[in-house]
Amino acid sequence: MKLLKKPPLRVLLFSLLSLLVATAAGIAQKQPQNVQVRIGAILASNQNDDFDSRLKPLEKQLRVLKYRSYRLLKDESQDVPWKGNKVFQIPGGRSLMVAPQEFQDNRIGLKVRLTEGQKPLLDTTVRISNKGNFILGGPPQEGGVLVLSISATAQ
Amino acid sequence: MNGCENRIEAIERWLDGELSGAEAESLRVHVTACAECAETQRRLEKIQRTLQGALRAEAQQLEFQRFWRAVQIRINEKRPWHREALERLRSAFPASRAAWAVPAVIALLLAAISLESYLPFWRGAGRNSFATVESIDAYGRNVALLREYDTKTTVIWLYQDQEGENEAAEETAPSGPAF
Repeated sequence: MKLLKKPPLRVLLFSLLSLLVATAAGIAQKQPQNVQVRIGAILASNQNDDFDSRLKPLEKQLRVLKYRSYRLLKDESQDVPWKGNKVFQIPGGRSLMVAPQEFQDNRIGLKVRLTEGQKPLLDTTVRISNKGNFILGGPPQEGGVLVLSISATAQ
Repeated sequence: MNGCENRIEAIERWLDGELSGAEAESLRVHVTACAECAETQRRLEKIQRTLQGALRAEAQQLEFQRFWRAVQIRINEKRPWHREALERLRSAFPASRAAWAVPAVIALLLAAISLESYLPFWRGAGRNSFATVESIDAYGRNVALLREYDTKTTVIWLYQDQEGENEAAEETAPSGPAF
C-alpha cells in the first residue's frame, strides 16, 4: 500500500480508471435499432392563399419555396431498420423508398429513391441531423407541385 | 583485538570537535593510555592535515572576488517577465502536481464526450445542422439544390425545361425552381 502513496502511480491508476470508464460508457452507448422516417406530402400551389394549419411546424421552411398555398396531402411515419428500407406511397402514383444507411455523429445517412410508377425520378443519398429533415419537391401535382418533407429520428 | 577498533569513529568525531566535553575527556584519557588508539589518532590527524593543506592550496587559486561579483550581477539583474512568470508557474505547479493534469484533461474530455452523447444538442446551434446531399441522380432531369440559412433548410428541387421532355402533359409542370 506504500506504493499507492507515490503520485506517479496514483496518476497512472487514475488514468487507467478513466479509460475503463470511457470504454464502459462507449459500450453502454446504444446503437439505435430503428429509424422513424416521416414523410409529409404537401401540395404547393398559387391557386389561393390557404395555408394548412397542420403544416405550422414546417411553415418557415415551406415559405422558402415562394408558393402562396400549402396543403398537407398525406402524413405517414414508419419505423425502418438500419440497412433495411421501407416504401411510402406518395400522391400522384409515386412512391418513395427510404433506406437508412448509418448513424454517425448524431446524423443519419438516408438513401432515398423517388419513383413514378416504374420510372425512377430521383436517387439521392442525404445525411441529416437526427430529428432533422430536408425538402424534396418539384414533381407536378394537381395544378401545383408536390413537396415532400422527409425527416428521420433514430430510435 | 582489544576492542579499540570500535573507537576509530569516536576518534574521528573527537578530532572534528563533535564530542561533548565528558566524552572528549574520557576518550583523551583512553588515548593517552592506549598505544593503538594513539596511533589511530596520529594517523587521522595526519590525513586531516593533508586534506586541509590541499583544500587551502586549491582555494588560493580560486578568484572569489570575481565569482562574487558575477553572483551579485546575477542577483541584481532584472529578469525578463516571461522567465519570472515561468518560475512562478513552476513553483505553483511542481512536477507531481503537473502530472495530475494528464488524467484531469482525460476526465474533462470524457465529460465533454459523454455530455455530447447524452445531450445531442449540446454541441450548440453553431454547428452545421444542414442536410448534406452526398449524391444525387435525377435521371437526366434538371435538379436544383437550395440551402436556406435562416431555417437551415436543404431543398432538392426537380424541374424540367419549357422545351424539355413533357412527362406530365396534362398537369402544369413548373419550368424552374420556385425559389
